[in-house]
Amino acid sequence: MDERDFKYRLIIPLALLLIIVMIYPLGYSLWVSLHDFKLTSIGQEHFIGFSNYWNILKDHSFWRAISNTIIFVVLAVFLEFLIGFTLALMLHRETTPFRNIFRAILLSPMFITPIAVGLMFRFLLNSQLGFVPVILNKLGINIDWFSYKMALFTLVLIDVWQWTPFMLLLLLAGLESLSQDPFEAAKVDGAEGWNLIRYITLPLLKPVILAAIIIRMLDAFKVYEYVYAITRGGPGEATETIQYHIYRVGFLYFRLGEASAMAYLLIIVILVLVLILYHVLQREHANL
Amino acid sequence: MRKRIYIDIYSFFALLIFLIIIIFPYFWTLISSLKTAADFLHPLKFNFTPTLSHWANVINSQIPHQGINSILVGIITVVIALTVGAPAAYSFSRFNTGGEKTRFLILLSQMLPPAVLIVPIFLLMYSLKLLDTIWAVIFAHLTFITPLVTWFLIGFFDDVPRELEEAAKVDGCTPWQAFLWIVLPTIRPGLAAASLFGFILSWNDLYYALLLTGGKSKTLPVGIAGYWTFRGVEMGQMSSAIILAIIPVIIASFFIQKYLVRGLGGGAIKG
Repeated sequence: MDERDFKYRLIIPLALLLIIVMIYPLGYSLWVSLHDFKLTSIGQEHFIGFSNYWNILKDHSFWRAISNTIIFVVLAVFLEFLIGFTLALMLHRETTPFRNIFRAILLSPMFITPIAVGLMFRFLLNSQLGFVPVILNKLGINIDWFSYKMALFTLVLIDVWQWTPFMLLLLLAGLESLSQDPFEAAKVDGAEGWNLIRYITLPLLKPVILAAIIIRMLDAFKVYEYVYAITRGGPGEATETIQYHIYRVGFLYFRLGEASAMAYLLIIVILVLVLILYHVLQREHANL
Repeated sequence: MRKRIYIDIYSFFALLIFLIIIIFPYFWTLISSLKTAADFLHPLKFNFTPTLSHWANVINSQIPHQGINSILVGIITVVIALTVGAPAAYSFSRFNTGGEKTRFLILLSQMLPPAVLIVPIFLLMYSLKLLDTIWAVIFAHLTFITPLVTWFLIGFFDDVPRELEEAAKVDGCTPWQAFLWIVLPTIRPGLAAASLFGFILSWNDLYYALLLTGGKSKTLPVGIAGYWTFRGVEMGQMSSAIILAIIPVIIASFFIQKYLVRGLGGGAIKG
């Protein structure tokens, strides 16, 4: 058995499995999206071409869900990067006391089930039973965390609580892998503090930052559990995210054809955003 | 020198504040699992008489059964994912099979939103009569855990020196034997971390489990989600169930944190 044969044999099981669990469902889903497929009348569907797609593109709720999701993703990932980077800088310093204990505990939220996080915060922020509103009330501050104006932002904060650790993990690893030489050279030239971060750390860390932000954004697009645990898309459509909207249309309204078409449009939206982001960050990189 | 000490002190207190923000929700949930219903009306009261009644109720509810379902789903998914993922990861690492593009595709496929796959998987499971069984969830979890485990192991195979296989070949091993008996045992920590991380992701999933299971086949996250719905609220029991679901995972996370970067970087970031 020569090596050429061997290396392909090794990937055959993976290829077969992915064809069964992924490629086939994706193809099936495309077929469903071109039919008037309803969960209540399986077996009676007709081919309707791209009608599902046109209907969705004209649907206000779909665009509301997309814009809610984009606002959520951008705000959450921006805050997570900002906080994660600050924490990474502090934990990277070898002289910071207890840094290993801090790191182990600060990373913990990213491992726990999002439905538990959603319910813990629903409880914690509840206006009668929750610790946070009661404390704020004593200080004379009244915030309804789940009001029409606040709800989406509250979900952002919950996401920041759970996923800043992921950003921290990657950025900290990035910092630890950097060579010390450019820092020594810059220090000799008299650079320190913010200048060191701005002109040495950030440019050197760019590839890791880019990867961390893109991975986190793709992940944030899947936000669902907090919505399910707390708001169910409300008040009104204030927190209807796309993943929740597809769930609603497909499994609460039984319109599977439309839900499949939406899923395909979601893939396109995500791909376009990733490409734009990638190019913007690449250009930034060239300008530095 | 003095300046360094100031920064140390600032860092310490800043980190302490974040530590409190992270720990408080856990602490609050634990406290709540010990409060009587009447004490819930006083969120600031911490010197209450603790009760174990919520814990007793949870132990006697469906939660332990749902926990076992979650464990079964996680173990079966991870075993299948490792069996097909490890040889492929070895091939990607050693022979760069399919090039950078294939690696990237593996990473991307794991990022696919569940909303994209849920409709076809639901219909497929419906026609196979597997809806409301744990096999439906296992099928769905394989869609993201298989690419994840594969991606995760690439970095660990990259670290194994090639001389190991050369030596095995001289000793008369076939390439397959060299992989199975020489290379695989050297990345045991990577295999353990990949399994544990894959298991955690399966354990944590709500989206697929909610739509594909019901009744006896519900997993733990689905059970937990049922405690606070439009139909009713069981704060105390919900808190106990949450603690049960998150404690094992947090403990497991302490063991894999060290290996996580190596794995998630897929060979891109040196951990």
